[in-house]
Amino acid sequence: MSDLTHTQPFALRAESASEFASRAPDHVELMRELGVRPRPGWTSRLPPGLASFVTNGKGMAGVVILLVLVLMSAFAPLLSDYNPNRRAGKPHVQPGYEHVLGTTRLGKDVFTQLVYGGRVSLGVGLGAGAFAAVIGLALGISAGYFGGRVDDIITFFVNVVLVLPGLPLIIVIATMVEAASPMVIGLVLALTGWGWSARTIRTQTLSLRTREFVTSAELLGERKWRIILVEIFPNMLSFFVGGLVLGTIAAILAEAALEFIGLGDPNAVTWGTMLFWAQNNLALQSGAWWEVWPPCIAIMLTGAALVLINFAVDEITNPQLKASRKIGRIKRFLTRRGRGADVF
Amino acid sequence: MIFLARRLVFYFAAFVLAITFNFLIPRLMPGSPSDRIIASFQGRLSESQVAAIRRSYGFDGNLWEQYITYVQSVFRLDFGISTVQFPEPTAALLFYGAQWTLVLVGLAIFLAFFIGSFMGIHAAWNRGGFFDSFFTPINVMMNAFTPAIVALLLFYAFSLQLKWFPLGRAHDPNLMQNWFDLKFVGSVLYHATLPVLSILLVSFGGWHLGMRNVMINLLNEDFVVLARAKGLSENRIKYRYVARNAILPQITSLALSIGFMLGGALVVEQVFNYPGLGKFTFTAIGARDYSFIQGQLLLLTCSVLVANLVSDIANVMLDPRLRGR
Repeated sequence: MSDLTHTQPFALRAESASEFASRAPDHVELMRELGVRPRPGWTSRLPPGLASFVTNGKGMAGVVILLVLVLMSAFAPLLSDYNPNRRAGKPHVQPGYEHVLGTTRLGKDVFTQLVYGGRVSLGVGLGAGAFAAVIGLALGISAGYFGGRVDDIITFFVNVVLVLPGLPLIIVIATMVEAASPMVIGLVLALTGWGWSARTIRTQTLSLRTREFVTSAELLGERKWRIILVEIFPNMLSFFVGGLVLGTIAAILAEAALEFIGLGDPNAVTWGTMLFWAQNNLALQSGAWWEVWPPCIAIMLTGAALVLINFAVDEITNPQLKASRKIGRIKRFLTRRGRGADVF
Repeated sequence: MIFLARRLVFYFAAFVLAITFNFLIPRLMPGSPSDRIIASFQGRLSESQVAAIRRSYGFDGNLWEQYITYVQSVFRLDFGISTVQFPEPTAALLFYGAQWTLVLVGLAIFLAFFIGSFMGIHAAWNRGGFFDSFFTPINVMMNAFTPAIVALLLFYAFSLQLKWFPLGRAHDPNLMQNWFDLKFVGSVLYHATLPVLSILLVSFGGWHLGMRNVMINLLNEDFVVLARAKGLSENRIKYRYVARNAILPQITSLALSIGFMLGGALVVEQVFNYPGLGKFTFTAIGARDYSFIQGQLLLLTCSVLVANLVSDIANVMLDPRLRGR
């Protein structure tokens, strides 16, 4: 009910100045109502970009989820005594004390396969994502900075890579390589997945090239590669990270999809091949849900974590997107105080 | 017109590159398809039989002659003979599968684009509100749930457990294929519901986020302030002023996303046992039917190129600034 009194315009009420002053919210109260939190002191020692990432709730949630998955995979031998490739019990044992997530149709321990599979799936995904991001960065900066003929040729290839359908192309290559190992799949994914980051980085470089600090470095007679590395690259860092995150998502999902449809090496233990065997052995039809859901959930969690990180990177590179989040709070604040919120 | 002409030249170059790539992949890899067949006979073939097999797969003569033969056969829509369904020409199988994939991808793209774009418009217009802060992250996160997993979930819940939807096929096998029969169309839609839903659920988040971010950047432009000052209605500003400008980059990425959607459809068809290109490709992979696998890449590449051309034309029609160039 107290909200109702606030919706009255101040001027309509007769009151003394002291009454008004005593009711006026102080600084701390205002900050709480607007949801502004002071940054913890220790972040002031970090570089500004990193500090805004560390204080970003979504980004840190993503980092924590990803870290848990990575650590579980890294310490797989400590978490499980079974061998992921060997029979560990009877076929299709329900989850229980002996087998935390049950066993597959072939009697392999699902939890063991999950943590060992994470090593390959996450490793190949991160590796392919990083490789693709580096290719995109190198080509994007070269095209944007050198311009002219170099730009024309690179832009042509970027457009071709963007236009060609990725998965069908990878299917053709993977079929020609008999039972493609996770490494081969990762390499193919990296070589076909750099289009988007090259395009964004080229656009950014084009707008940076004419800035004063680049011109002054050129007039000072700096060498070209030094200008690219020292002057331009630091400004590309957020786009590079964005490309890395998106590339990793794409690589992890594509690897899982390829192995799921049976193009991978069926003897490798990855999240994709776990799904392939589950589908092949009709696990769902025979009611063995524990063979299917763990790799599904692991892939979904990885994707969600990376998306959260990408959200944070997006908000830092484009402050308008972050400001838009605060506008809701400001609008509600103003409405509560009887001010019109139409200014936005 | 010059703009469109330049795009046309680019698409033609990309097409030639795709054909060349398709031609080179099996020839650069160790063990060509014909060599594998010859090897499977373990030396029980005569010289002339070996030569005949090589010729039927286009592996005789030097590389340049092979290339010319290959390009000619592509333009004659002759993709060779299928080894899975032996005497059938690959092209017939390709086009049969493609029609069902087209049903899936067409419906999914159409629905995803409209639902996603409208959600994005709504989120950007009421940015910071409940809808924006709740649905934007959720929708984008769904984007990272690969179609394979969503398909498995839906298949388990609605086909296996609840038995609301069929376990496979594109239509009721008792009905003849007749696109003018409402009963047949209904059966097709019924069978396509879950596969379309699996592609739809993972793709509309992308349109939501794209539309929202472009809209938010446009909302601070001078022309929006002017439109407000003129006293135009909110809906007019929202749809005719801001959304119309924000939709242009969306149309370009719509065309580019078709390749991604097709990839998703290949996997989804596998789960739902849907007789599209993906299902046939899967069988072809198992049987190492190279002519089919290469044919599907070529067909998909062509459809993506055509889609891009259509989006360029749409962009020219929607964006007057491009017409002069």
